[in-house]
Parts: sequence; structure tokens; C-alpha cells
Amino acid sequence: MVTNKLLKAGRDITSKSEPILELRGICKYFGGVHALEDVGLELYPDEILALVGDNGAGKSTLIKIIAGVYQPDKGEVLMEGKEIEIRSPRASMDLRIETVYQELALVDKLDVVENIFLGRPLTKFRWFVNRKRMVAETVDILKRLKISIPSLKEPVQNLSGGQRQALAVGRAIAWSGRIVILDEPTAALGVEETRKTLALIKQIKEQGASVIVISHNLRHIFEVSDRIIVLRGGRRVGSRIKSKTNIDEIVKLITGSL
Amino acid sequence: MVTNKKDKEKMPSGVAVAGRAKKLLNLFSYQAVGTLLVFLALILVFIFFTPHHLFVDPRNIKALAKLTPDLGIVALGVGMLMISGEFDLSVSTVLPFSSYIFVLLLRAGINPVFSLFMAMGVGALLGLLNGLITVKGHIPSFIATLGTMMFWRGVLYVHSRMWPIGIRAYFPAGSSFEHVLIGEIGGVVPAQVIWFVVFALILGVVLHFHKFGNWVYATGDNKEAARAMGINTDRVKTICFMIVGTLSGFVGVMQLLRLGSFAATQGLGFELKAIAASVVGGTSLMGGIGSIAGIFWGALTIQILENGLILMRVPVFGISAFIGLAVILFVVLNTYMRRRMMMMR
Ligand SMILES: Nc1ncnc2c1ncn2[C@@H]1O[C@H](COP(=O)(O)OP(=O)(O)OP(=O)(O)O)[C@@H](O)[C@H]1O
Ligand SMILES: [Mg+2]
Repeated sequence: MVTNKLLKAGRDITSKSEPILELRGICKYFGGVHALEDVGLELYPDEILALVGDNGAGKSTLIKIIAGVYQPDKGEVLMEGKEIEIRSPRASMDLRIETVYQELALVDKLDVVENIFLGRPLTKFRWFVNRKRMVAETVDILKRLKISIPSLKEPVQNLSGGQRQALAVGRAIAWSGRIVILDEPTAALGVEETRKTLALIKQIKEQGASVIVISHNLRHIFEVSDRIIVLRGGRRVGSRIKSKTNIDEIVKLITGSL
Repeated sequence: MVTNKKDKEKMPSGVAVAGRAKKLLNLFSYQAVGTLLVFLALILVFIFFTPHHLFVDPRNIKALAKLTPDLGIVALGVGMLMISGEFDLSVSTVLPFSSYIFVLLLRAGINPVFSLFMAMGVGALLGLLNGLITVKGHIPSFIATLGTMMFWRGVLYVHSRMWPIGIRAYFPAGSSFEHVLIGEIGGVVPAQVIWFVVFALILGVVLHFHKFGNWVYATGDNKEAARAMGINTDRVKTICFMIVGTLSGFVGVMQLLRLGSFAATQGLGFELKAIAASVVGGTSLMGGIGSIAGIFWGALTIQILENGLILMRVPVFGISAFIGLAVILFVVLNTYMRRRMMMMR
């Protein structure tokens, strides 16, 4: 009951309108594993939604359903009130949903430029890869996001963990989706890089996109998010407006001691 | 360290390392170069050590020029498929199968050009089937195509009863169709060489400049990442299988015209030789690495090695041993060079 009231209040604060994206009653099973059981999620325009929960709680599975990597076994997905099916990652990208995966989804032997434009290279004469323009754009993007990478021709397997992560985040932002999903965007980052990435996340919101961010670092979550959804054992156990909760309460929700 | 202000592909804020020296290294890290060097060394050895320098005898060179494109064109497709992360062992069956289809159509009085396209179409279909079995059935392509190789070979052997079928009865010598496929340009350059170069150029453009090539590398290196970024990896692989089938179909007919008679054993052994050629040309067995230039030189190297050894009167099984040895040496060499390049960066 209390949660419900808070939710309503949250709606008043974070949105002037209906959710841009809504998931209802999502179930996902891997063999006998119930990765998600009747999970709902709503994402409002211009909000940063945090998704937290312990290892194996189902966070990545949930966002992979939005990213079109997995199909839900049950439940529905609505975009701006209309029911849709996201059949493939391509379909998700076409809906202008950009995802940074926990495993980063970089192709090791391709270089920085090719990875930024992975799957959708800029072309000339319709079919041919326009390397020159892609290089120019990449230089631009990395400069804008203040990401420093020694050489764009480097296969990304030679980059440091932090550089790889920055690259994956940069790629999602560069494509300027209206929804940006980040699964553990700061996991491999140092102090300075983390600060930059958190600033970037806020910047995405200012540019008018909505963000879903997953992190185990609750301090980061409290720094950037507007609302927090907690998963435990594949179920949604709570949703809190950031300004009306505290780390303690979230920890208790995560561990189930509330 | 040298800095090069003109290097546009360098980050403005990044550490400046790039320079002329590194560019040179990049050139040498290009997989084809190692192959090219050994290729030249081989030629020198054979020039000096074949009896009466037979290797450079114009007749031998011409025979080699007519022979090499058979394996070469198939290897181009097989190598590209390997870059996408899959194998095709069925080429040695698809090839005679298409050849058989061509002969049957010809015998039925059908126009040779149309028959050629049908033969290539059948090759493409068999490739499609290989692709579907592999990606939809989630079966390793090594096994899937081993199965289709044996299956279609059985069908072919039973249906053709392994009888040779001469084409001269249905097909006058010296037709323009024959000229285009196996004629000689200016009485010197066999048309087969032109076809080999043409297919290499087409596939080179597709692999290195077309966006499809980009998808092939991404699919072969990291299928999950490629999929997550919206690449339909199943379709990419299936198309690569179809390209292999189409090329095998073409070679089936080209070889048939050269031999003058259909033989159910056409292309026997091509499946492993094509893989060997690709590997010698720097293609990775794990997918994601390789180039058309490399495969091109790889196929030439394998053929020349075989030819030179025959001229040196090495017994047949000895040749097999040499080729096996060469494949291993090349892989070691390529891996070593790649690692050196990584460390020098
Ligand atoms: N492809 C898969 N096949 C089988 N089981 C899976 C698969 N993906 C996830 N699971 C299972 O589903 C459950 C949820 O996994 P998920 O990756 O969504 O957790 P998570 O909340 O992202 O955890 P983490 O914080 O460790 O990233 C786990 O029990 C996991 O083992
Ligand atoms: Mg996860």
C-alpha cells in the first residue's frame, strides 16, 4: 500500500505524462531457472531509472528483453502505450533503444572505429563502408565525450578494461537513442573515469532521453538516479523515489530483510 | 617515439604513438605478406631444383595456370566462410554434383549458359541447406557439412553410377561459351586465371569494403556481440555458405569443360585443400581473421607446392606429407608474426 502511494507520488514528480516504456508481468525461464517472475517496469520520459539487486537477481535478463536479445516467455511490452514485440536487437535499435551490455559487446579484433559503428557502418553509394566519415565521426564523438583512446586503428582487444567500457558507453550515447540502457557502466572504471561516466549519464537525461542504469554501487545509484527498482530472485520487490528513500532501505530490499 | 601530425586517425587528446615506423609494421602485419614471402621462396626453390628446371617450362606454367583456379576459386569462398566462423567440407561433393546437373541439362538439350546458371543455383541451394542445418540446428558446421558431403556424394554416385559422361556429343568444341570459360586470352592467358582474379576482386570488395564484410568479421570474431549490435549472424553465415556453394558450382562446370567429361570424383580432396589454402593464407580457424589477398596467395602456394613436388618426382603420399607439414609451418609462422605485431604495438 505504501509502495503504491509512493509510486503515485513518483509519477507526479518524475513525469508529466505516461511511461515511454512499460513492461508488464514479464516472465523468463532458462530451463528450470526462473530468471524473471511476473516483473513489471515503467520508464518515464526524462528519468534516470536505476535497477538494483544481488547477483543473479535478473537485472541483465530484464534489460536484455528490452534490448531484443531475449523474448519474454510471458508478459507484455508497451512503448508509449502501444503494445509491441521486440523480436531482435535490431528491432530494439530501430526503436532507438541503445544498450550497453554488461559484457560490453565489443568485437575484439575490429578497431575502435569499426566497433563504434558495429552492425551499422556509415556507407557511401548505399553499400560501401565509408571509413573516412566513420573516422571523422568517431574523433568527434570521443572528443565530445572526453574519452581518450590512443589510436583508433587499435584492435579493441589492446585497450584497457576502462577504455573498453568507456568505448561501449560512448557508442550507446553517440547513437543518441531516446532510451539508453547501461548494464554496469562503471564496473571497470577508475575514480576519474567513474566520475566522468556518471556525469555523462546525467547529460543523456538533459539531452531528453530516458536512462535505465544497473549498478551494484549504491552510492553511484544515489548520485544519478531519480527512481530505483529493486529485484530479488527474479521478482520485483520494490520501487522507490530516490529522494524518499535511503541506502539503508534499498540494501534491506536487496537482501530481503525488510 | 615518432609523432606524425598528419595521422588523422589519432585522438586529439590521446597519446601520440603513430608514425611512419608503425605504418610500416602495420603493412607487414598484413597476413598476406608472410605468405607472399614464402610463396616467392618456394618458387625459387622449384626453379632451381626441379629436373631441367621443368617448373618454369612454359607448358608447366600454362598447365598450372589452368589448374590452380579450380581450387583457388573454391578456396576464396571457403576462406570467407571461415572468417565468418564456419567450415564447409561439402565442397568436394557440391562441385561434382553441380557438374552432373550441368551435364544432365546439356544432355536434355538445354542452353549451356542457362545450364551453367542452374548448376550454380544448385550449388547455392546446397549451400543454403548447409547454412540452415548449421544455424537453425545449432550443429557445428564441421559435422553438418561432413554429413551433407557424404549424403550428396552417395546420391551422386548412385544416380550417376559413377560413369563418366563426355560432353562433346552435346556440345561442339570451340563454342563461344567454352571460350569465355576456358579459352585463352591472346592464346596465352587461360580464361580460368581471369575468372580467379575476377572472383577474388569481387569477394575482396565485398569482404573489405562492403558492409557485409564488416558483418562477416564481427560474426566470426564475437557472434554474441555482433548479434547484440543488431547483426543477423545466422543470415550472414548462411549467405557465406551460399557463396561457397555458388562458387563450387561454377568451378564444377569450369573443370568439366577442361576435362571434357563428367567424373563423379571431380574435386575430390578439395574440402581439406581449400581449408589448407585459407590457413596458409593467414585465415584463422577460430574465425574473425583473414583476407582475400591472403587466401589468394594461399591457394597459389598449395598448388605450386603440389606441382613442384610432382615435378621433383616425390611420390604421391610424400606430397601429402609435405603439404601437411607446410600447413603446420604456415600456421606457426602466422601465429608467431601476429604475436610479434601485438607486442610491438
Ligand atoms: N542465457 C542464460 N541461460 C541460462 N541461465 C541464465 C541465462 N542468463 C541468465 N541466466 C540465469 O538467470 C538468472 C538471472 O541472471 P541475470 O544475468 O539476469 O542476473 P543479474 O541480476 O544481471 O546478475 P549480475 O548482477 O551478476 O549481473 C541467473 O540465475 C542466471 O544464472
Ligand atoms: Mg547482470
